[in-house]
Amino acid sequence: MPNEFSRRVFLGNSLAVGGGLLLGSSLLSGCGGGEPAVVGAISRPTQPVRGGRLRVGIIDGDQAGNLDAHKPSGGGIIRGWALYSKFWEWNDDVSTRLGLAEFAEPNADASAWTIRIKPGLEFHHGKSITADDMLFSILRLTDPKLASPFAGLVGAIDRQALRKLDERTIEIRFKQGRSFFPLDETLIAFGGIVPTDYHPVSNPVGAGPYRLKSFVPGQRALFSRFENYFKPNQPYADELEIIEFKDQVSRVAALRAGQIDVASGVQAEHSALIKADPRLQLVVSPTTSFSGFNLNTAKAPFQDERVRQAFRLLADRQELIGRGLNGFGRIANDLYSPQDPTYNHAIAQRGHDLDQARSLLRQAGASDLRVELTTTANEVNAALVFAQQAKKAGVEVKVTPVDSSVFNGPQKEQWLMSPGSTPARGFLATGLHNDAPLAIYNRSNFRDERFSELFTQALGQPDLERRKQLVHEAQAIQHQRGGLLIWGFTDVLDAASSKVGGLHGEQTTFASWRFDSLWLNHA
Amino acid sequence: MPEPCARTSRLPAWLPWFIGRLGYGLLTAWVISLVVFIATQALPSDPARVILGPEAPLESVLTLREQLGLNRPILVQYFSWLGQVLRADLGISLDSNQPVASIIFSRFSNTLALLAGVLVLVVPLALSIGVSLALRRDSRLDRFGLSALIFLKATPGFLLAIGLVLLFSMPQVNLLPAVSILDPDKALWQQLEYLLLPIFALSLSSLPYLARMVRASMIEALDSDYVSAARLRGIAEWRIVWRHTLPNALVPAIQGVALTLRTLIGGALLAEVIFSYPGIGTQLNSAIQMRDLPLVQGVVLVITLGVVLINLVADLLTVLLTPKLRTARRATLIQRNRRGIQSWWRRPAAKAP
Amino acid sequence: MFYARWWREPQIRRGALVTLAIVLLALFGPWLAPHAPTDMVGGVYGTPASDAPLGHDFLGHDVLSRLLNGGLSILWMSLAAAAIALIVGTVLGLLAGLSRQRLDQAITWLADVWLAFPDLILVLLIVSMLGRAPWLIVLTVAIAFTPGVIRLARGSAVAVASQEFVEAAQMMGFSRTRILLREILPNVLTPLLVHFGNMLTWGIGMLSGLSYLGYGVAPPAADWGLMINENQAGLLVQPWAVLAPALLIGVFAYGTNIFAEGIARHSAGERR
Repeated sequence: MPNEFSRRVFLGNSLAVGGGLLLGSSLLSGCGGGEPAVVGAISRPTQPVRGGRLRVGIIDGDQAGNLDAHKPSGGGIIRGWALYSKFWEWNDDVSTRLGLAEFAEPNADASAWTIRIKPGLEFHHGKSITADDMLFSILRLTDPKLASPFAGLVGAIDRQALRKLDERTIEIRFKQGRSFFPLDETLIAFGGIVPTDYHPVSNPVGAGPYRLKSFVPGQRALFSRFENYFKPNQPYADELEIIEFKDQVSRVAALRAGQIDVASGVQAEHSALIKADPRLQLVVSPTTSFSGFNLNTAKAPFQDERVRQAFRLLADRQELIGRGLNGFGRIANDLYSPQDPTYNHAIAQRGHDLDQARSLLRQAGASDLRVELTTTANEVNAALVFAQQAKKAGVEVKVTPVDSSVFNGPQKEQWLMSPGSTPARGFLATGLHNDAPLAIYNRSNFRDERFSELFTQALGQPDLERRKQLVHEAQAIQHQRGGLLIWGFTDVLDAASSKVGGLHGEQTTFASWRFDSLWLNHA
Repeated sequence: MPEPCARTSRLPAWLPWFIGRLGYGLLTAWVISLVVFIATQALPSDPARVILGPEAPLESVLTLREQLGLNRPILVQYFSWLGQVLRADLGISLDSNQPVASIIFSRFSNTLALLAGVLVLVVPLALSIGVSLALRRDSRLDRFGLSALIFLKATPGFLLAIGLVLLFSMPQVNLLPAVSILDPDKALWQQLEYLLLPIFALSLSSLPYLARMVRASMIEALDSDYVSAARLRGIAEWRIVWRHTLPNALVPAIQGVALTLRTLIGGALLAEVIFSYPGIGTQLNSAIQMRDLPLVQGVVLVITLGVVLINLVADLLTVLLTPKLRTARRATLIQRNRRGIQSWWRRPAAKAP
Repeated sequence: MFYARWWREPQIRRGALVTLAIVLLALFGPWLAPHAPTDMVGGVYGTPASDAPLGHDFLGHDVLSRLLNGGLSILWMSLAAAAIALIVGTVLGLLAGLSRQRLDQAITWLADVWLAFPDLILVLLIVSMLGRAPWLIVLTVAIAFTPGVIRLARGSAVAVASQEFVEAAQMMGFSRTRILLREILPNVLTPLLVHFGNMLTWGIGMLSGLSYLGYGVAPPAADWGLMINENQAGLLVQPWAVLAPALLIGVFAYGTNIFAEGIARHSAGERR
């Protein structure tokens, strides 16, 4: 499911988008797999240059978006990277490192986490960060009144049991004394630390690299450098400007015309154009963000495991990458998070086998099947390719594009078949997005007793080897009878003027959102 | 609405008519706002869910619906909204949490700037093209000009706009910014370069209609009896054209300009999308997509009031510029002929032998 | 006779031929297409080759096949929209023009309110409320066109009704129906026909613009406006996927417009 913070939400959400339409699924791409690559201008200064105004163009669809740290909408997630800092930060390989925190560890059975922040940290408005602010931020994220869609990721946190240990230290415990291991991966994305006098509209301050100067929803946000950022000498630019575009074509025109410096997440179709322009650089991030389809296991015909297997067999994954992602991606094996150390590499890659698919469908009494694939307009490409492939096995897939507000509306778990994707995360965090018990977007309605049991145990298992065993068995179940058809991992393409430094490919989806390390050779 | 003929000698003859028209226009705007209000209720997905997001539990959605008053009968909701509007309060946008009035103010002034630019460019151009083609009627230039105008009229506007964006994003062509990303912190007149391409694109599509209208009415006026009479009396040709013919030919052009403006006020959506121009059209589109009902209603109200105002001004100018209508004794005479003004003032000439 | 005289007007001839060519292309194109419009036969944005003279599009469909298949939708949609508007508008307009009482006022007022309702709002609201099925889009465009027809039909009817021959017919005691059908209708036909041609032109622009915005024909169906939208990103790699449908839309709109212009010019010439 396109989670709210899936990158493609920003890459052409609008139905009214001229060119951004229909191109969504081909936005995230890269060349085959392998090392991050920078294509384009080479002779650039390697030392960061300070000063200047860095102008970043993002795609924001119809949503005006906000600045809320814990319930971002539209471009709010990207703006959050400028405004807010968290206890942790992402490494290039999708693991985590400490950010504001100087210590953050679970106890032996992961039933409690202790988090201590660095001394002398400050918010944008000069107030120093204390344990009260830490508690406030976590309580706000999980507040049922705020109803953040991302609260479910840390739904295990027991709000009543949050404790302040000293002025810089807090302790987090979990509901019913449970154990919860992947706190870093789940709290990092939306756990921006904000002061107790925070308000997303009237007082949007945090401890991120830039402080807000002005914000016009749906158009642009202007930030200035936060001098007391927790990383010395960073960020580099004096000002950061995040400009919202409705479609990809006009944004690429703006980049080429020098009206913006960075285009965050460009379509693969534009890669040739950008590579050919000596004033631009193209940065490819081979991510482990997956693309696939949710098969709704609560509805016929997908209640039948054999039909789900047949669908997974009739997908020609290489062709889906080639056409749906314009060749920028790698095939997947119906499992997510291959970068996770617990990933089960022993499961054989599922092939493309029309005969077996047909015979499975016959066994299930589902020959001449007709299914409806509901999609948002910007994820239509892969759906169309899949529909053509299904036709070869006698399955008619009708692709129905709907508004994103309908797609994510009350019916969101009712679609029979719908596209799904989640940005690169570890196994447990990705599961909490998709098919784990209490997942926030369980569009496949996958609820398997044994799988849930294994997943719940893994959530509380800090020991890698033991967790690996649990995950291996859970992944065998997903591969055998899960509700996700994961056909590929997508590459993210970012384009920038050759004057921009600090932008490099990585395995995450947000190479171009690391505003504290980007700089502009403005001289 | 035939107004009672309450003409006193001090008031201009057209005033009662004008007041009637004003009331009529406001009535129209009101009816449209009512229709749109009811129509928005039929949109799938509701505002409470838009505010809370797709993950919100049902209880909080229901509570918020209660708080927002969304479960009251529709007419009650409408009149409470209308009451707010009359107190000059358009409410708060559900999507962006900003006051609707300030969003509309900035977007609508962008659109108005665009319209003003189109007018400044198109009206003189259409007049000069129309007049010069009319003076050389049926010449080769006239035929060529007409074909070019017809071709331009037939080409869908969005194709023209796409062509312009592509042209100006080429590295070799650095004359104008390809995309109109306005800086909201700067005044509009400080960034006029962003307006040029959209104005140009919109002007290209509205020029043919106006130019041909001017040409046609010029020809009609040149053929009329009083021009022949003036020629017989030996009045200089330039004087005939500029003093006698053009003012008459201008009258239908006013209605033409009004029509162009009406089309552009909401219909510049395609150009706004293609140039990333933050106008009222894209705002409305986004608001409908996001089910941001207060914003939808506010935008619709402003656009319809704009249309009403344009019509009103155009009609007033027509009346003031047409001597027979200006001095008309009876308001109903104007009434009946408001739409048919053109044929009405032309008819005597046409019937003459 | 009527039509033979029309045929002598070169503009009408040219317009009719151009329009006819596009209509034939749209009608018979699907039979001529080498591939089905949804078959993915080539590389993504494959450039023209001998087996694919216009190359391939964003998913590797054959552009020529999609072009040949994609005309039908805009053809029937623009024709249907203009025809519905013409019929409904003429009926209402004549009714208003000939009744000249309360009904006239009511219909005129309705048309005025209707005209003040910006097309854009109408289209967006209907599409978001009821979905984007092609027949809904047709209906929306027809609704947007109708008030213009009402006003035109009413105006012409009023003008004709006050002329001598109608008065004569009335005095001779002919029935209202007969007067309407034999005297008035033929005389308002020409302006309405011109307007019909203009509505076709506008309709083509509006409908292709709507499918460019993502409303109207849904993928994977082929449609010229949709093709422009789908392939815009590849414009600089494979321009034909955008230029070819754009060209056809332009030619179609041009043909219908020339036709309307021709009729207008012809009838103006006759009156003179």
